[in-house]
Amino acid sequence: MNRIATILVMIGWFLVSQSYSKSADDLAQVQLDSKKAGPRAVENLTERAIVRDYRSAWTSLSHALEFNVFDPIEGPFAGNAKQMLKGTIARQQESGLRQRFLDQNHKLEVVFYAPEGDVVELHDTAEYQQQILDGGKPIHDERVVLHYIVLMTPSADRWVIRQLQAVPQF
Amino acid sequence: MRPWLICAAVCLAEACGAQNVEVRVSFPVVAGNGATVSTSGSGKAIFYLVGPGVSSKNEIKLGEEIQLRTRDTQNAGAYQAIVCSERCASATFYVSAANPASLTFLVHPSRVPVSQNDAVSGVAFPFDQFHNFILTPLSIEFRLTAGSAALMTQAVRTRAGVAWFRTTSGKSAGALRVVAALDNLSAQRVVQQVAADPCNLRIAGQRNRSGILVQTEPVRDCAGNPVPDGTIVTFTAADANGKSTVDAPIKQGVARVEIAASGGASISVASGVVMGNEIHIGAQP
Repeated sequence: MNRIATILVMIGWFLVSQSYSKSADDLAQVQLDSKKAGPRAVENLTERAIVRDYRSAWTSLSHALEFNVFDPIEGPFAGNAKQMLKGTIARQQESGLRQRFLDQNHKLEVVFYAPEGDVVELHDTAEYQQQILDGGKPIHDERVVLHYIVLMTPSADRWVIRQLQAVPQF
Repeated sequence: MRPWLICAAVCLAEACGAQNVEVRVSFPVVAGNGATVSTSGSGKAIFYLVGPGVSSKNEIKLGEEIQLRTRDTQNAGAYQAIVCSERCASATFYVSAANPASLTFLVHPSRVPVSQNDAVSGVAFPFDQFHNFILTPLSIEFRLTAGSAALMTQAVRTRAGVAWFRTTSGKSAGALRVVAALDNLSAQRVVQQVAADPCNLRIAGQRNRSGILVQTEPVRDCAGNPVPDGTIVTFTAADANGKSTVDAPIKQGVARVEIAASGGASISVASGVVMGNEIHIGAQP
């Protein structure tokens, strides 16, 4: 009897972890166009690092806002962006709301890369399925296209997002 | 319909006779100014506000206006106003940045040799009091001064929220003040200008009891700025036994070494990529 209960618990845990990891591991698709970058040209390695870290940041953001936890945003975000996200998570914890960003597709364009390479400004045309839940109940489910202005700076081991601000259009 | 209202979204109960609910948000919404949300219909509903730094849930009466508090709209970005009764209706609206309140100003490098082309650069980003990035074009003035001399004044209009400059460093060593100014806001950074590579590096030598004492003349760059103490000068002596090299830092403007050589020797000097003169010292009498 105990054995059956253990197996049931394990199956349950597996199913729950699968459903959680589906959205968390639902890696964002990120494309970067650096042709208009200036005044400094973006080197290939830098381009790849920005794509990798931007994707990772959105995966972390999605996880943080879906499960209302702070840890995922500690590394990929800094400054204003981190404060804003912390505020959102804290308010969500109070209101009981959650957000999901599914099936993400980000088209990034580098619009400014500082002469010394210490800051990059990106325009992100982001398309995703936005779900807002009150507890477990969906109150909003919409495929959206949003435009984000993004400032990223290099830190010791990655590019971090310092500003993430949606605008009606570029 | 009042012209300043936007019907941003309408969610209709398509069947079952449920009432239609419209959500409208006054626009434009500027950070920290609050906003008004109006709804149609009657009865109780739940109003949700979801946006950057905001997530709230309140009971409302349909048909009554909802005043968004100033603290609910401090962050620029996209917001969702959602009203749920039998069904949910939503409106998306944007909050834009308020007036400039601070400048983020990055200047490089912190230390630069004089007279270097395109060696000093600066980037300025305007932000409002809530740390929202301001994207509307603004004119930022960059001013570079060394001592009392103005080296550069340039007004640059922000594009995509950024203004930047790049320029040649000044001709004399010392502090270079770099200022970015926007109306009554300003941010100042200091770049230390140091002498460039040595110019006309010359040495003189004389024999003493223990060897040859070699010393540079005061080491200066081509503009006459003293090369900083600590800069390494390399002395190379060639005599009958071969070549020997000694590095010495500049101290109080000159570098000096004592080379142990009893026979005649040729001594040359260099600092970085700059070569100096060569001297010949005869053998010990």
